[in-house]
This record gives sequence, C-alpha cells and structure tokens, in this order.
Amino acid sequence: MVSRSAASGSPQTQRQRAVARIDQNAPINFTFDGRSYRGFAGDTLASALLANNVHLVGRSFKYHRPRGIMAAGSEEPNALIRLGKGAYAEPNLRATQIEIFEGLYAESQNRTPSLKFDIGAINSVLDRFFPAGFYYKTFMWPASMWMRYEHVIRHAAGLGKVADDHNDPDRYEKTHAHCDILVAGGGATGLMAALQAAKSGARVILADEQNEFGGWLLGEADIKIGDVPALSWVSDIVTELAAMPNVTLLPRTTVFGYLDHNYLTLNERVTDHLPSRPAHLPRQRLWKIRAQQVIIAQGAHERPLVFAGNDLPGVMLAGAVRTYINRYGVCPGQRAIVVCNNDDAYRTALDLHHAGAYVVVTDLRATATGPLMRAVRDAGIEILHGHAIIAAYGTHRVARVEIAPVDDSVTAITGDIDHRDCDLIAMSGGLSPAVHLHSQARGKLQWDDAKLCFRPSATHEPSFNIGACAMAVLILSPV
Amino acid sequence: MLIITCPFCGPRDEVEFACGGEAHIARPLADNKISDADFADYLFMRDNPKGLFLERWRHSAGCRRWFNVARDTVSNEIVEIYPMGSLPAKTAAKTTYKTSWRRDTAAEKAATPSRSKAGGSK
Repeated sequence: MVSRSAASGSPQTQRQRAVARIDQNAPINFTFDGRSYRGFAGDTLASALLANNVHLVGRSFKYHRPRGIMAAGSEEPNALIRLGKGAYAEPNLRATQIEIFEGLYAESQNRTPSLKFDIGAINSVLDRFFPAGFYYKTFMWPASMWMRYEHVIRHAAGLGKVADDHNDPDRYEKTHAHCDILVAGGGATGLMAALQAAKSGARVILADEQNEFGGWLLGEADIKIGDVPALSWVSDIVTELAAMPNVTLLPRTTVFGYLDHNYLTLNERVTDHLPSRPAHLPRQRLWKIRAQQVIIAQGAHERPLVFAGNDLPGVMLAGAVRTYINRYGVCPGQRAIVVCNNDDAYRTALDLHHAGAYVVVTDLRATATGPLMRAVRDAGIEILHGHAIIAAYGTHRVARVEIAPVDDSVTAITGDIDHRDCDLIAMSGGLSPAVHLHSQARGKLQWDDAKLCFRPSATHEPSFNIGACAMAVLILSPV
Repeated sequence: MLIITCPFCGPRDEVEFACGGEAHIARPLADNKISDADFADYLFMRDNPKGLFLERWRHSAGCRRWFNVARDTVSNEIVEIYPMGSLPAKTAAKTTYKTSWRRDTAAEKAATPSRSKAGGSK
C-alpha cells in the first residue's frame, strides 16, 4: 500500500482532518529507514508513520514476521524501533511513545538487508525445522566448530543493536523529593484525585507518562464530563493545578519503581522530544520520591483477541485506532473490520465510519443491545452478531480475513466461513486494569470472573487504586 | 528503601542508617568455661528468619547512636523501636525474643555470672 515514490514532503495520505492536538501549520520532517517523511507537531513517530500509510515497522525476533503498530501508548508490543545515530542511537524504543521532532532519525530493527525484503523471514517458512532450542541442539557437533557457529548465531540473536559508541554522550540527573500524595497517572481520575488532594493543602506530585495530561480522554471524540467537553475539562484542571504552589506536575514521566515504605522512582524524559538539547538540561531525570500516600491511577489496557495472524501489521487495538483518529487525525485504514466482545469498540466503528472508512463490525456476542450498538446500526454499518475472525492473511499488512459464526462460548465454528477484504482490523477483548505498580508494591490481585481480568484487592503499602485500574469506570463487561 | 524512626532524631531514610545485625546476643563470661561448639553459637551463628526479627541499627549518618528495631523481614513493617539494653514491649516482639533458640544455648546461660563463682571469688 505504501507508494514507492513517496519523497520528502510526501502527502500524508491517511491524514483525515484537522484535530486540536495536531498543528498542521508546523510540519516536521523525519527519516525512517532512510526515507524522508513528514508529520506535524503533536505527532508520535507511530502516528506520523500511519499518516504516511506506513504500517510495516519491524520484524519479529525469531521468525522475522512482519511487525506493525498495534497500540497507541506504552502498551505497544510490536513497533520497536532504533532511534538516533552514532553514539546517540537507542534500540527498542516504542514508536508510539516517541514524539517526533525536526530531523528525527529512526530505523527498523531485525531485518537484513531491508524491512520489506528480509532474509531472516526464511525462518518463518521453515519454522517446523526450527523448534525451540534448535540452534543449541543442532550445532553442538563437532564441538570444535561451535566458535564459528556461535558467531553467526549470536549475530542473529537479539532484537535491537546498541549504539556503536558505548560512551553515552548525554547527561543525566537525579533528584530527591517528598510529597504527601503522589498521583501516578494523569487521566480523568488521576487529575480529579490530584485536584482534590491539592485543594486540601497537601503537597501533590502528579506524574503521567504522556506529553500531556488526559490519558484516554485524549483519544476520545465527543465525551463530556459534566456539561463540559472532556478536553476542556482536562485543560481547566491542569491550569488550576499548575497555578497551585503545592502541586508539581510531571508530564513525560513514568513511575517505574515502587519500593518499600512508599519510596517511588520516576523517569522524566526532559529533552528527548526536542530537536536540539539545551546544554543546561539533562536528557532524562531520575526522581526518587518518598510519598505519604500513593494514588495509583494507571488506567487500563485493552486486551487483544486471539486469531491466526493477529500479529500482522494493520491489526490494532480498537482503542488505539480511535486514538489515532481523534487525537492525531489519522485514519489507519480504509476497509476496517472491528472485532469485539464489548460495546466500547462500537465507538471505534463510529469514529472509523466518520473518518470515511468502510466498516464491518464483528461481535463475538450473539446479541448486543445498547445505545452505541443502535448508533452504529443507524449509521448503516454492517454488524455480524455471534461471529468471530478465524484468521487474518496478508504479506506486509493484513489484506483478507476469514469470518465465521461461532457458538456462545466462542469455542466452535457453527457455519460457513466468509472471506472479506480489509486493510485494518480493530480488535477489542475488553479492558484489563494496569496493576503493575500495585503488584510491585506487593498488593494482591483477585480474579474477576465477570470481567475476565485480575483486579487489585488488598494493598500492602499506603496506596489506593482508583479509576480504571481499580475497575471503577470504563471497564466494560464482555459478553 | 525503609523509613526508620530514629528514637533521637525522628523518621529518616534508610541510607542514613547502618544495620548491626541480630540483637540480644550476650557474650559468655570468661569465668564460665564453655565448649568451643557452644562458644561458636555466640560467635558465628546468626538468625535469618522469615518474619519478625530483632536487630540493631545505628543512625550512622545522623546522631550515630545505637538502638534496637523489631522488623518483619517479609513485609518490612517496623513493629517496634526500643533502646539498647532493654527488651521489646510489644507482644509479638516479646514472643520473638522469648522463643528464640538462642535463649536455650549454653553461651547465653554463660553470659550471666555463675552463682557459685560470684560467691567464692568476691
């Protein structure tokens, strides 16, 4: 699908419309695998590549299967790329988390000689001859040859390559801080919690891994909180928080460690998003924070669904598709299949429809009612109830799917298999709370049979889980 | 990283402290002759329990004074902090002290002056 003649300043064919978070007057040029592309201020590398209709961004570890962009945030498992040149190169960064800047240089990984024609992909064809441990079992003999084999095997192993120059030229910094309340996550509930805590006079630190606060709200269309559009609600709260002397706002900051007695470590990416890094600022800053109370508002991750070929480029999470449309103004495909077991994914169907894509909804549930379903039906979108995607096919991107009716437990096919052409699959298996920090702090988990996920139960440290990561809001029941 | 409440300075970060290992190990007195094996109990053997543990800490980057801490090694919960030379007051910590294998060792019994010698020599 990618036009081979795309040169510098190529049209962003998938860019749909003007959205608030993308500044179309501020074009940004960047390079991916030696080719020049153009994005806009506000893009991530992933959204800018999708705007240029680039889905294939990497190769898998062993079988060199094509890898595309699947998610829109830190949950991205596939789109791992190498950023920068020379001593500044850094491997295995998620394209979905890299804000683009003028002159950004990125490369795909684990491919020789090129991403589209990758010799290693032969492993995928010969997979039956490469069982687990194949290399170590086969190349044991003769023993004297191992050193030669090893050279080749070691070269094939691993995903990214570290910088050629091992002396990191960047400067890093660490800082210590204390607070009454640390809020991890700046989505709807995290913001509200931070505001309430700050109003009580407590010293509050609010950290969020994205470049701006708002979490999932940034990717939604037409959501209101109270009577206010969600994003104005967000900016009002952020303005209010920023004006309070007892509040520290830390965007682009990941809470990554939860140690004993509410001691937390945070990584702030200070200048990673700037084209040139000012000398007086460190590249990243390590925060070591002792908090009286921790409020974990990490939110939730969307679950993928299981079918053959669900790792192909063009197979994405439904919430991520929605984020690309609403936040970045990018429609990742023209013929989309939404496959889901919950009502939430119907929002994706509507947003795709409004972005001009042809949409079919495949719902694993035999029946579905509700305002979202009705809205989708009224928009004239085809809905297949009680159907599932059995397999997806394509070479560098999904091109065709097999859809079949399934029984209530989604374990058996009950009818004929239907073939459909598509260039995008938006899948949603419901949401799972992000329990990472809760678990690091030795909090217990409890299986929830109705929502099919682990939810936080007893906490060990003085902390609370709120919002989607406590399954308070937004978590939708499948089936 | 723990917060330890120094009885003299208040709550401080763990980096300011040094851990002195197991508390309440009494040295056998020289006049109480015990075997080498029994002396080894005093000299070498240290507890490493899963659960409540009585240990000595020093506020080495602060007031530099010693004190005792009853800490749960599983949850890192600090149950009690009490002065050197005294015994814990909380029930759980008390039980830990009383039920320690060390209370029954010949080394510990030899740490108190023996009655016969105390009467005879002085």
